[in-house]
Amino acid sequence: MKRAAYMLLLIVCLGGCASTKVPADALRLPESTLDVRSIQTRTLETTSELNILIATIAVLQDMEFNIERMEKPLGVITASKITDADSIAEKTGLIFLDFLCVVSGSGGCGALSTAKDDQHITLTMVVLPSLAREGEYAVRITIQRVVYDKEDRIKVLDRIDEPEIYQAVFDNLRKSLFIQEGDS
Amino acid sequence: MSRLRQHWALLGLLIVGGCAATTPSNVIGAGTQLETRQIQTREYDTLDKAMTMRSVVATLQDLGFTIDQADAELGTITGTRLHKYTMRMTVTVVKKEGDQISVRTNARIGENPVTDAATYQDFFVVLDKAMFLTQHNVN
Repeated sequence: MKRAAYMLLLIVCLGGCASTKVPADALRLPESTLDVRSIQTRTLETTSELNILIATIAVLQDMEFNIERMEKPLGVITASKITDADSIAEKTGLIFLDFLCVVSGSGGCGALSTAKDDQHITLTMVVLPSLAREGEYAVRITIQRVVYDKEDRIKVLDRIDEPEIYQAVFDNLRKSLFIQEGDS
Repeated sequence: MSRLRQHWALLGLLIVGGCAATTPSNVIGAGTQLETRQIQTREYDTLDKAMTMRSVVATLQDLGFTIDQADAELGTITGTRLHKYTMRMTVTVVKKEGDQISVRTNARIGENPVTDAATYQDFFVVLDKAMFLTQHNVN
């Protein structure tokens, strides 16, 4: 019995010391890669590279982002913003859970503190001359977010994949490019 | 102290000592320099550093990263992926003698460095495809 207890303790402790295993698919392309790439990419026509870069920065400002980094030779623009992630439906559910907890007297109530509070969104746009045709530019966007709860704990780590979000950004970019071409 | 307590205390000390001994390596890193470089580096027969960097950016985007930092002159790109866990990668692109470009990458997942060769191999498989597409003028 004592020997079994020693072995169990040793296994638990060795497990604690061992480094975390890397997920096998950490750097493998998922099957959905082509679909995701087509959702995130558009080809736009314009007269100059400067026009599309100015229009891209302007559209990020339109969407209330701040520019974090820009590397023109690589066409990389990274922007971020912190926004509210509150959800009335979620909060109502958690308040109800807290209410049940208090009524039952089970203790450890505090479900509301796990409600989503704010989200940090990071967006990268890569704008490069098309390799296939002159006067065309390939624009690819990737967006991800960290959602924090009321106690500033990370609640969600998420890549944004919804096609309608990307479509809305590209619609705004087209408008921005139209305005920029009119101004230049 | 009973014999049983002595055994527990000794086991506890050994375990704590074993874990504590790894602390200094958190600054320097645990792997050997040569071995680490070997698994993290791939050389390509191309002269075009800009195209290689473009392929690296496309690879990182394909893998779901956003770009935190990029410097075309120094050939350095750092990206982060937020999906279930936080993964950060830095990729450096350096021109070598003999018409070759060297691409080196290192990755971390949360607090832990990625040290297994298979994960880097997976990255280079994706980069190989992106390099092929870029060299054949496909966006």
